[in-house]
Amino acid sequence: MTLLQTGKRTLTETMLLVRAVEDRLQELCLEGLAGDLHFSKGQEAICVGVCAALRETDYVVTHHRSIAHAIAKGVPLEPLLAEILGKAEGMNRGMAGEMHMSYPAKRFMFSWQLVGTCVPVAAGLAWAVKNYLKTDDVVVCFHGDAATANGQWHEGVNIAAVQALPLLLVCENNAMAGNVTPEYYSPFGGAMATGRAAGYVIHPDSVDGNDVGAVYQAATKNLAYVRKYHRPVLLECQTTRLGRHKQGQGDLRGKDEIAELAKRDPLRTATPEERQHVEAEVQELFRRVLTC
Amino acid sequence: MQSLATPKCDPWSRNHLLRDAIGQAIYDRMVSDPSIHLFGEGCHVKVHYDAPNIEWDFSDRVHTLPISEDGNVNFAVGASLLGVKPVVDIITADFLYRAMDSICNTAAKANFVRPDQPPATIVIRAEFLTGGPTTGQRPEALFTHIPGLNVVIPSTPRDAYGLMLTALREPGVTLFFEDRMIQDGLIEEHDRRCYAPVGMGYAHERRHGNLKPDCTVVVYGLMRQRAEKALDPMLNIDLLDLRTIYPIDWVQIKASVRRSRNLLIIEPDVQYGGVGAEIVATIAEKMPEVRIKRLGGSRVTIPAAMHLQGGMMPTEEQIRDAVTNW
Repeated sequence: MTLLQTGKRTLTETMLLVRAVEDRLQELCLEGLAGDLHFSKGQEAICVGVCAALRETDYVVTHHRSIAHAIAKGVPLEPLLAEILGKAEGMNRGMAGEMHMSYPAKRFMFSWQLVGTCVPVAAGLAWAVKNYLKTDDVVVCFHGDAATANGQWHEGVNIAAVQALPLLLVCENNAMAGNVTPEYYSPFGGAMATGRAAGYVIHPDSVDGNDVGAVYQAATKNLAYVRKYHRPVLLECQTTRLGRHKQGQGDLRGKDEIAELAKRDPLRTATPEERQHVEAEVQELFRRVLTC
Repeated sequence: MQSLATPKCDPWSRNHLLRDAIGQAIYDRMVSDPSIHLFGEGCHVKVHYDAPNIEWDFSDRVHTLPISEDGNVNFAVGASLLGVKPVVDIITADFLYRAMDSICNTAAKANFVRPDQPPATIVIRAEFLTGGPTTGQRPEALFTHIPGLNVVIPSTPRDAYGLMLTALREPGVTLFFEDRMIQDGLIEEHDRRCYAPVGMGYAHERRHGNLKPDCTVVVYGLMRQRAEKALDPMLNIDLLDLRTIYPIDWVQIKASVRRSRNLLIIEPDVQYGGVGAEIVATIAEKMPEVRIKRLGGSRVTIPAAMHLQGGMMPTEEQIRDAVTNW
């Protein structure tokens, strides 16, 4: 793992930070201090790799599993956690929660609970960047593989293709829709997003979403294309969700199955020193937020 | 002014006065506010025919989107995040059902979930036509149930102009209905003058009875015209045109009902679960001494055959009967 930087942290450190924050939030869920949150355990490499390839001024739009994306885009952790915990000090004063939060100062623009909504919203944002603000910034829209079965995904991608918008669609393909496997929602099997890209005459690309370096490189390449030609690109990242769909919901997968997936954990090579360093930081962070 | 004997609501009579007033209001706001952009299905074609001054001066701010109503409203919400004030044309009110998710789940909540940021201004337009089963529905009452939406149904060009000015000037999400069944020929000269903004939540008192009127008649949309046509100007009544069904002008309704003690609500929509029900319930709770009547359409699917479409809305005879027989 090369030492790529996001702010002061390496990409591995950022992923560890996401993991540590989410683990601590999970404890709070079990204690009843937080709601049923959606975590990205096992998927951290995608948002961390993509956001590292973004400019500070590029925009991010995302879906309900948004905590990792916000951290990766550089949203300050105190207001982020306060928002997730429903406090007035939260970045949206506790009104938005984990699934609807936004922080425009860091260009973390929009997250939405309903599957697929983020895609046409991201297209509208990209339209405004191109035709209203007239800057060369790019919008990244994270969505899940299950969203590709939703009408909003198709309407949004169609508009983005027709209007030639600077939009990078990043499909976090964890091959799960809640507890449901792809045979129920995709005729393409595994590569569901890239398979659909041809229908909109947009460029597809795919990468191992659990290899943060590979994600970073793929994102860098595709962002350059999107920025230069103002055409959407669909980047599909194959990944593994190691946790439940959301807290408070059962997981149909057996322990063996998850252990098999964990062999691809993007953080399997992180050293104990790195982990300890980040965990100490997170302990201190939560102490501050919980007492505010 | 045309003769009062113009034929009954004719979908092909191409009423255009309200539409022109709305177009003029949008044009006037576009002149002073460069963030207003128009989006919609076939938007540039519609502007070409309906608002040539917008096409002439602001063609670069008119954007045609695909026939994907739901995606188009979400798209507009995305654009509004960067300061654009979108006017999204859904075309026909029936198509609003297609966009229920993006209007009720996304647009209506967009300002609520970002109290730390400047609120967006979004206008969603649709028009009422006639016909069935899915070309003449009136879904306006559904949207009054959703927090975060203003619901506007003007009945005169003057109000349409004034309310569109307000919708584009104030922050918030407005659902703006244009009733194509309001007959141009029955619109009087003073209702055609477009000059000033009209605030949200202010009813227009069309007729004012004496100190003790026989009843208060509350109408909106198409029913304003029908009630005025049906009711003798010499009748001692208060006639209130709501203009916005959310927010509702409770102050004027209550002030009038306090004098008349009789309340009749006439709505151009299915009566069951409608705007009238909300007014009735509120007045009955606060002022139990008031006698109340409602007139509205039957809860039936609109048949395609035009000769079977009677009973969808209150007739002039029913209105006269309701006002005179308490």
